[in-house]
Amino acid sequence: MSSLGYVIEQYIMLSGALFTLGCIGFLVRRNVLVQLMSIELMLNSVNLTLVAYNRMHTGDLNGQVFAFFIIAVAAAEVAVGLAIVLAFYRLKSSVQSDEADQLRH
Amino acid sequence: MQAILALFPARDYTLLSLIVLLPLLGAAVNGVFGKRLGKEAVSLLALSVIFISFVLSVLTFFALGHAQQGETAARFYWKGWEWFHLTQQNGNSTTLNVAFSVDALSGTMALIVTGVGFLIHLYSVSYMAEDPGFHRFLTYLNLFIFSMLVLILGDSLPVLFVGWEGVGLCSYLLIGFWFETESNAAAGKKAFVTNRIGDFGLLVAMGLLLYYTGALDWSGIEGGAKNLLTPVQVWPLGTHVPAASLLPAGAEHWVNMPRYVSAATLVGLALFLGCAGKSAQLPLYVWLPDAMAGPTPVSALIHAATMVTAGVYLLCRLSFVMVLSPAAMAVVAFTGALTALFAASIAFAQHDIKKVLAYSTVSQLGYMFLGVGVGAFTAGFFHVITHAFFKACMFLGAGSVIHAMHARIHDTDASQDMRNMGGLRKYMPITFWTFAASWAAIVGFPLSSGFFSKDEILFKAYSSFVNSPVPGNTLTDGGISMELFTWPTWLGSALYAMGLLTAVMTAFYMTRLFIGIFFGEFKGWKIVKGFKEAQGHDEADHGHGHAHHDPGVRLEGPTPHESPWQMVLPLAILGALAAFSGFFNANAGPIHITPLDSWLEPVFAKASGAVSLVAESESKEPLFLGLAFAAFAVGSGVAYWVYAIQKGKPAQSLVNAAPGFHSLVFDKWRVDEFYDEYVIGAVDSLAEFFTWADKWIVDFILTRVSSFLIAASGTALRFMQTGRVQTYAAVMVLGLGGVGYFFVTPRVEAETKSNDASGAYSLSAAQGLGYSYRWDLNNDGKWDTEKFSSQTRASLKLAVKENRTVRLEVKNAFGRTATRSFDFARPQPDLSGALSRGSPDQVPLRRMPNLRQLVKQGAAK
Amino acid sequence: MTVGNVFFAVASVVALLGAFMTIASQSPVRSAVGLLITIVGIAALFLMLNAQFLAAIQLIVYAGAVVVLFVFVIMLLGPDAGDGEGTVARARVARYGAGAFFALLAAAAAHLVTRAPDAVFTPFGAVDPEHGSVEAIGRLLFGSDVVPFELATALLIVAVVGAIAVARGKPHVRRQSKSASPTARMFHGPLMARDAQRPLPTKAEKAAKAAGGA
Repeated sequence: MSSLGYVIEQYIMLSGALFTLGCIGFLVRRNVLVQLMSIELMLNSVNLTLVAYNRMHTGDLNGQVFAFFIIAVAAAEVAVGLAIVLAFYRLKSSVQSDEADQLRH
Repeated sequence: MQAILALFPARDYTLLSLIVLLPLLGAAVNGVFGKRLGKEAVSLLALSVIFISFVLSVLTFFALGHAQQGETAARFYWKGWEWFHLTQQNGNSTTLNVAFSVDALSGTMALIVTGVGFLIHLYSVSYMAEDPGFHRFLTYLNLFIFSMLVLILGDSLPVLFVGWEGVGLCSYLLIGFWFETESNAAAGKKAFVTNRIGDFGLLVAMGLLLYYTGALDWSGIEGGAKNLLTPVQVWPLGTHVPAASLLPAGAEHWVNMPRYVSAATLVGLALFLGCAGKSAQLPLYVWLPDAMAGPTPVSALIHAATMVTAGVYLLCRLSFVMVLSPAAMAVVAFTGALTALFAASIAFAQHDIKKVLAYSTVSQLGYMFLGVGVGAFTAGFFHVITHAFFKACMFLGAGSVIHAMHARIHDTDASQDMRNMGGLRKYMPITFWTFAASWAAIVGFPLSSGFFSKDEILFKAYSSFVNSPVPGNTLTDGGISMELFTWPTWLGSALYAMGLLTAVMTAFYMTRLFIGIFFGEFKGWKIVKGFKEAQGHDEADHGHGHAHHDPGVRLEGPTPHESPWQMVLPLAILGALAAFSGFFNANAGPIHITPLDSWLEPVFAKASGAVSLVAESESKEPLFLGLAFAAFAVGSGVAYWVYAIQKGKPAQSLVNAAPGFHSLVFDKWRVDEFYDEYVIGAVDSLAEFFTWADKWIVDFILTRVSSFLIAASGTALRFMQTGRVQTYAAVMVLGLGGVGYFFVTPRVEAETKSNDASGAYSLSAAQGLGYSYRWDLNNDGKWDTEKFSSQTRASLKLAVKENRTVRLEVKNAFGRTATRSFDFARPQPDLSGALSRGSPDQVPLRRMPNLRQLVKQGAAK
Repeated sequence: MTVGNVFFAVASVVALLGAFMTIASQSPVRSAVGLLITIVGIAALFLMLNAQFLAAIQLIVYAGAVVVLFVFVIMLLGPDAGDGEGTVARARVARYGAGAFFALLAAAAAHLVTRAPDAVFTPFGAVDPEHGSVEAIGRLLFGSDVVPFELATALLIVAVVGAIAVARGKPHVRRQSKSASPTARMFHGPLMARDAQRPLPTKAEKAAKAAGGA
């Protein structure tokens, strides 16, 4: 067990587990806030993958830079997403995603 | 003339473009700016372009005369640009140019078109002066002259066809010129549609000529005309007639027997169908009488002098094709004679002076086709010329009369009714004398133009016949041999008899018309009460009212008067020509002045070689001369007795004796009704069927049912569109599952290469995510190596006729495997070249490359 | 069992527990706390992977900004931010079915990967001490990657402006415009503030005025 934490496969498995949790959260929960958090979980798991693979290529930092940009984009996404949640709340007085069926009509 | 020929060499005679394009320029400018230019400018432009065109045509005519020496026909040619290029199935290519050419025939025709056209333009400027559509009228007339010149001067059938359709269009526009009246528009449509039937024939003729002669320009057709002497099977259309086997054996054989005609006959008949449409021959003549709905100058120019003679011109132009088929020529001659007789009979009972002239035009056109059909092309064309003069003069005279009648009557039908006229001689002397000259011409008054031209046609109808184009009168091609039609001996006499009878009838009804208009009392005074008043009549504008009529009492009011000089001058010129133009080709008895004959001789040289005269007919010529004179004398004498001396009483008693027959003739033998019932009725029922099909098949099954299906499936699918994001995400997850399955499943693909000659075959397996491979190349059911390797290529060598199945297994990164088999077989070497040809069991394998190597799809495991 | 082994084990367990808490807890505040825990765990893993700069950024941006933003919104909405006990949950089959199916897919994938016969662990090699340092990343960001970096700033500004625009909308207040077309509103609106109180003349009124003037 001395390799624990020094083998890439473990990071990938962990990342996969986090992604699965995030995806299940997004699919199952109907609270938009929690759904947004689930999206953050998935983005984080992807970041973990990128950084882990980047560890394999010492001297090349493109993976980490990519993760950096993903963090920036995620921040922007959360800002806009929460603004939409607020607007949606004003419209429906609720943050349940199954209330949002205006597009059907 | 030398100067013109030096400026414009015969191969590049640019002057033609000017002759053709000037009227187009006039039409374009008048058409676009006519409303703003004002009447003076419009008429100045319209008249001057035609006049310049006429002057240039005269120059060209004399230049042609200068160039034409002896037997060879002179031809001036101008090529505009290359139009299109055709490559035929047999590899021959045909280039078609927008090119114009002029020779003796088309030069003469161009003179008539521009000359008579100019006179009628001049007439129209006065006749139409009060019409609100003045500039439109002159635009159409200019456009007509342009189209007609394209028709005449075009150097090939397609260029001619452009003009042919152009004059058809102008005819349509001008017949329906006063389109506010429903019947005028209908007459225009009728002319257009009837002409379409003829144009179909012309198009078919073009296709056939292109197929058989490989060319569409005159010289090319002439060069390839020999190929038209080929038998063509016209029946049955396939190998046998469907359902013929139901008939008794003898009848079946008779029905299935192949029948042949020569290609020349097909071409000739198709051409004649086109000409019959344009030149109003049976059975397509019905549009021409209705075309009189147009303004009178139009009737004179288009429907008497020029356009309707285009068919005669075309047959003259392609005379060398027509004479190759005696059968087609006989059809032309017989149809012409029949039309002449038939139309003349209708003219007997008509009261509308324009209708009488229209049927007389149809009848005279029949004469022309009779002349052309018997091979007397010069005679036929000569009648075109004289008819252009005297019939244009008559129509213009009729227009002048109608113009005068408008002083008292404002109704179109009534002002053209012969029964309201009479005694106009003293009110309009010039019109009377010009009309008299053309009357003399059409009834065949001795030494008038019509006398010479009609006599020539009648004489040739009896004496001339078309020879067989091949020696022995039998066409052979391959194993087919067919007997050609021969001109029966009685045909000449029959044609002559019909022509002579027509001449008598023409003299009769024309004299009736002449007397009815100009002699006796003016019946316009005695317009009875209850007679139809003028429509929209405005007394303040015209100042010659006749509101209160007492029956039988002479009413005060304006008298008919002579027309202004712009109308009278053309009448005078045309009248003079009608009287004296016979001497262009006077050939009767002691008179023998035939400049036209020698002028056109080179053009018709090829055709006249195929035409012979009946033996000893020359000596009978005085007899025919006497008969022609007798026809005139009898016809007009009887008419004079009936209408001038007896004041129409015998005619009235005849009508009373046989009222049914009279109304049948008065209703034009009810041909229009017959067409309505059977031709248009058939088309209507077809249309009704298609309406039904449109309603129930297209609109119901195709539209309603399919839209219902779509709506139903939409209703079903609408349940899936919840608008909720998570439902859509759920569907995405399903798709993700599919993609994942695809991703983890290995697929075996391999490209095979084979060389049957050497027996070397190879396989190249496709790569994939973490793929490794193992092979079974030697067909022993065991893998060559138990372990998977990265070997993607394999090759094997086979002996002749050996079969081998190669297996390949692929394992991907997830440890999943898939197997597939590839079958190889090396065939027997192709020895068919070495063996004797034609042995039936020796199937050459190289024709079946797809069967040689079978690749059986192994199921991916 | 080195310190590194223990560190990885603790960090990954923390991250997984946090993620589970995020998606499983009924209260959104607890979800936010769970997200915070996951982020901290992942930041720890970043440290294990020699990504010191990213670990710092992760804590600053996610823990410091994103989670705080979530908490702000939850506070703003108050009790309504909860699971809405009063409302009827719809599309339940689709939601739970899809979640279960995705879990199945993940399990199958895990099974395939672990079952693969030649599955081996790939250990990390020796690492450059500079790998993932602030200086090295800064060199990249302001060197070869400067264009996307600047674009990211633009994106953030747009996102901020967009977020403000979306969040401050007043959907309950209808615009009181007489003109139907937006163009007409743009060009024919009142010039002066006091004119806004007066209604614009209708077409019929204009026509009547023109007729009266003539």
